[in-house]
Order: sequence, then structure tokens, then C-alpha cells
Amino acid sequence: MSHITESGSADSGAVVIDPDTPRLLQPLARALLWINQALVIFGMVALLVASLVLTYSVVSRYVMKASTDWQDEAAVFCLVGATFLCGAFVQSVRGHVGIEAIAGWLPKSLNNYRLMLVDLLGALFCSFFSWKSWTLFHEALIEHQTTSSSWAPPLAIPYGLMAAGMTLLSLQLLVQLIARINTLSKQLSGASQ
Amino acid sequence: MSMLTLGLMFGAVTLIFMFSGAPISFALGSVAVLFMYLFMPASALNTVTQNVYEEMASITLLSIPLFILKGAAIGKSRAGQDLYAAMHVWMGRIPGGLGIANVFACALFAAMAGSSPATCSAIGSAGIPEMRKRGYSPGFAAGIIAAGGTLGILLPPSVTMILYAVAAEQSLGRLFLAGIFPGVLLVALFSIYAVFRYRKEYKIAEAEYIKSGIASPILERETFTSRQKFEMLPRVVPFVLLLIGVMVALYGGFATPSETAGLGALMALALIALIYGVWRPRDVAPILKATLKESTMLMMIIGMSLLFSYVMSFLHISQSTAEWVVNAQLSRWVLLASILLMVILLGFFLPPVSIILMTAPIILPPLKAAGFDLIWFGVLMTIVMETGLIHPPVGLNIFVIKNIAPDIPLNEIIWGVLPFVVLMLLAVVLICVFPGIATALPDAVMGVAAVKS
Repeated sequence: MSHITESGSADSGAVVIDPDTPRLLQPLARALLWINQALVIFGMVALLVASLVLTYSVVSRYVMKASTDWQDEAAVFCLVGATFLCGAFVQSVRGHVGIEAIAGWLPKSLNNYRLMLVDLLGALFCSFFSWKSWTLFHEALIEHQTTSSSWAPPLAIPYGLMAAGMTLLSLQLLVQLIARINTLSKQLSGASQ
Repeated sequence: MSMLTLGLMFGAVTLIFMFSGAPISFALGSVAVLFMYLFMPASALNTVTQNVYEEMASITLLSIPLFILKGAAIGKSRAGQDLYAAMHVWMGRIPGGLGIANVFACALFAAMAGSSPATCSAIGSAGIPEMRKRGYSPGFAAGIIAAGGTLGILLPPSVTMILYAVAAEQSLGRLFLAGIFPGVLLVALFSIYAVFRYRKEYKIAEAEYIKSGIASPILERETFTSRQKFEMLPRVVPFVLLLIGVMVALYGGFATPSETAGLGALMALALIALIYGVWRPRDVAPILKATLKESTMLMMIIGMSLLFSYVMSFLHISQSTAEWVVNAQLSRWVLLASILLMVILLGFFLPPVSIILMTAPIILPPLKAAGFDLIWFGVLMTIVMETGLIHPPVGLNIFVIKNIAPDIPLNEIIWGVLPFVVLMLLAVVLICVFPGIATALPDAVMGVAAVKS
């Protein structure tokens, strides 16, 4: 039966380094673990701040009769930041859902290759996206681009958050991809002995 | 390259990438980037990230994480069990009242939490054991909860409807209102079926009792005192007030949908702090973490789906397909039936989020040309997608039920759920015959003028 799954230890919440991560990459894997945990806390705060800002928007408009020109954008920045910066954490628990329809039909060995290709595809796409995000951030920074509202905050803020988040996501995928390749090579060497 | 070849290639590559098992967001983004590289000007690749950011930085879309937070706060507290217990006590006297209580509890919880799996889990964890204890067949008990949970994407504030409003460029407030009467219709249909099925199971148990002398618990009548009934209210009324408060804020002109989401999330957190004492950082952190996990995954899919739709539109694939559908000159009802059938088939594999964002550019122009009201269609599409949550092979709610009641065999759950799929399709037919079920409330509250687009 095919269904959409969240593979990995998504529900347990406990994130550990894949034991097949090569020793050379373990410091990076560990660093990502810590960074992701810190960014989850940032994401939690961002969610609460966005809720507070939007609530303040209603209160200031109806109680204090003040104009509400910055609240929507501030909430957008918080939520965009939370979304992109927590992307790597979600990937670390394999929480980005996919259609695992063919997983049950493939023999285990072939399925391992499929999983490796899936991680490769994700790593390539996210690396490309990170590269373009940094380009966008750089342009926004040197050209002093701002949003079109009267508040006009610099666009470099959300672009920077997007670029940093996608870079972390690419690194997370890269570590997971290499661990998968390592698993496959161990299986191959085990089979040949 | 002809448009047909390009369209077929785009469709085939999308299917391969999606069915490879890659996360939906990365698969859609990769297809978009690949076709940009192959068929669009080189400069297009430089705007990929800007496109995604501009599409995502919509305050309406970004209300989704806050609505999820509101749902998670309510879903992770004991509000579901309390709501269920109150409904049980208040409806205990009606024959089949326990089944109806479950349907009502699901509807109310779904309206507060806005999530189908959360509703199934919160109401089902208390409701299924109770129904089974009272002699309801396991399949029937599972069916009620699985179907009741689907109301989460129809009753406001529904994440699915937010996406439809963005994709179809329709008023979110109007769409939310349009979902209410169809939601009530589904609650009524589910309740009627619950009574009918209860009577059937009661008669079988009665015949068995006469034959063998073994009394099923379904034959027992439960009564509750007025004191018991009123004792249940203090824990439930605040949540019902939250539900009403959110609707008043939205439709009383006090808050925009996104402000309502922020306000609703804070109010939900405040309520669970006051009523259940969930206020310490260690209590609130799992709620925020679960929200981040779900909303990040969802927002990534949304961002990449919008990029995917942009590429489809730039390459004229969506316009050509839509034109082809219009030129096929199908009668408007055949057109509608074909589109709904396609949505059902897509629901076999894809979550509602992806179905809406990937198909909207193709299916909405022909429907608009055929003179259909897109708000009305949004309600139909949502109900049809709801069926995808309870029919195999995806049937997310079926798997949630399987988790809470692992001893009920999967085939029994599926057989228990199927009558509810039929009832939902009956509701679709009724809304087609009497479109006022969906359009009357938004027309009455917000006026008729801007409805037809």
C-alpha cells in the first residue's frame, strides 16, 4: 500500500547523528545538530513574536487608533525566517514528506540506491537554491533594496534568512547523502567478502 | 518542440520525480529548475529564489503557520477529550447519541484546530474506545472518527481553503463562510447515518440476545443527571468562545485573516495555560516544535509548488491545457465531473496542498469560462479532497486511526469508512443541485456583488 510517509525518527523528536556518517564528517554533523537545535528555539520565538505582532496590530488599530504599517511585514519576516531556518531541522528528522509509493515494491538493495538518489536530488536542488539566494542577498545588500511599503525595511533581511536556511539545509542533505553512500559501500564490501 | 510534447514531457518528469520518493517540495522545485534550464531564457534561473520569496511572502499564506500553532495548542491539550466527554454527556439520551456526539465533537474540534489528523487523534483516542465499550462495531467507530476528522479542512479556518483562496485569487473570508453550511450538511448526513447504523447494530444485538441470552453493551441505556451535564461545561465553553471570538474578529471587520491567525494562536495558548496549566516553557516547547515541523514542511511545499506553477505558466503549459479543455466543448457538468474525478484520482497519492497549487492554473480557467462560481467550486473541491483523506491508498486519517486503535484490522477500518465517502459524494451532488448551500451564507454576510468572478 502506498502512502505518504514521514520517514525517520520524525515523531520521537530525538535527533541523533547517523552512525554511518564518516568520521571526517562527524564534526560537521554534530555542529549541524547544535545549530538546528538553536534555530528551532529561534523559530519558536519567531512564531510567538509573529502572533504578538499581529495581535498588537488589531489592538493598536481599534484601541489606540494607530496606523498599522509595519506589523504585516514584521510578521512575514519572522515567519519566512522560521520557515527557512528550520528547514534543516525538519530534514534532520526526515520530516519533509514524499510519496513513498514504490518503496514497498523495490528489493531492499535497490531501495537503498533509490534513497541515495533522492538525497542527491535534494542536495543538488538545495545547493543551487542556496547559491541563487546568496546572489539575491548580495544584490539586495549592495543596492540597498527595500520593500515597497511605507515602512520600507531592507530586503537583505529576509533574503539573508532564506540564504542561510537553504545553505544549512544543503549541508544537512549532504551529510545525510554521504552517510547513505557510506552505508551502501559497507553493504557492497560486506557482500563481496 | 510542440506544446503537446513539452506538456507530456513536463508531466512525465514530474511523475518520475514525485514517485521517486523525494520530498514533494524538492521534487517540484527540481522539475521547475530543470525546465527553466532547458526551455527558458538563461536569466530565468537567476530569478528562482526571488520568485519563491515573492510568492511566499504573502501575509495570507504566512497565516498558515499561526493557524497550525492554534490547532497544535488545542490539539496537544486535553481539550479534545473534554469536548468529547461533554458531547457524550449532553447527547447520551438520543438513540445513537454516542455516534452523534462523536460527529459533533469532531466538527467542533476540527473548527478550532483546523487539522484533520489532529481531530482524529484527539477525539478518536477517547471516542473509539468508548464506542467500542458501548458495543459499536470497530469499523463503524473508526469510520465516524475518520470521517468526522475530515471536517477540519472544510470548516474555517482551513489551511486547504487558504491555499485555494490564494491560488484562485478569491476572497478568503468569503471562502471560509462558504464552507460552513456544507460542513453542517456533512455533520447532519454523518449523524443521520450514525443513528441508522446504530439502530441496525442495536437490532442485531437484540436478536442475538433473544437467541442466546448474551446481552451486548449496545443494548444498555446510559443516562446522565443535569448536574453531570453542567459540570462538563466550564472546560468546554471557553474553547467554543474562542471559536466564536475568531469568527467575530474575522467577520466583524476587526481583523484580517492573518491577524485572526495571530490572535487565535495567542488566545489558544492563553486558554490552555489557564485551563490546563500548560504555560511552562517545557510544556509549550513541544507545541511550538510540532508547529514548526509541520508548517516548515508545508510552507516549503507551497513555495516550490508556486515556482512549479510559475514555470508551467511561463512555458504556456497550463494555458494550453486549459485552452484544450475549453476547446473540447464539454457540457459544463461533464467538465465539472471530469475535473472532480481528476481531483479524486490525484487524492490517491497527493496531499490537498499539492493538488490545489499544481492543478489550479489548469482547471480554474475552464471552470471560469463555463460560468461556475469559483467560491462554490472551492467548496466542492475541498469536499472531494476530504474523501482523499479517508479512502485508500493515501487515506491519512485511516493511518491515524490505525495508530490509535491498532487492534482494529485495516480492512475493517476501510469498510467502516466507505459509507462516509459515499455520504461526502452525496453532499457534493446536493451542493451541485442546490448551490445555495455553499453560496447563501457568504452572499448574505458579504453581499452578492463580488461573488461571480
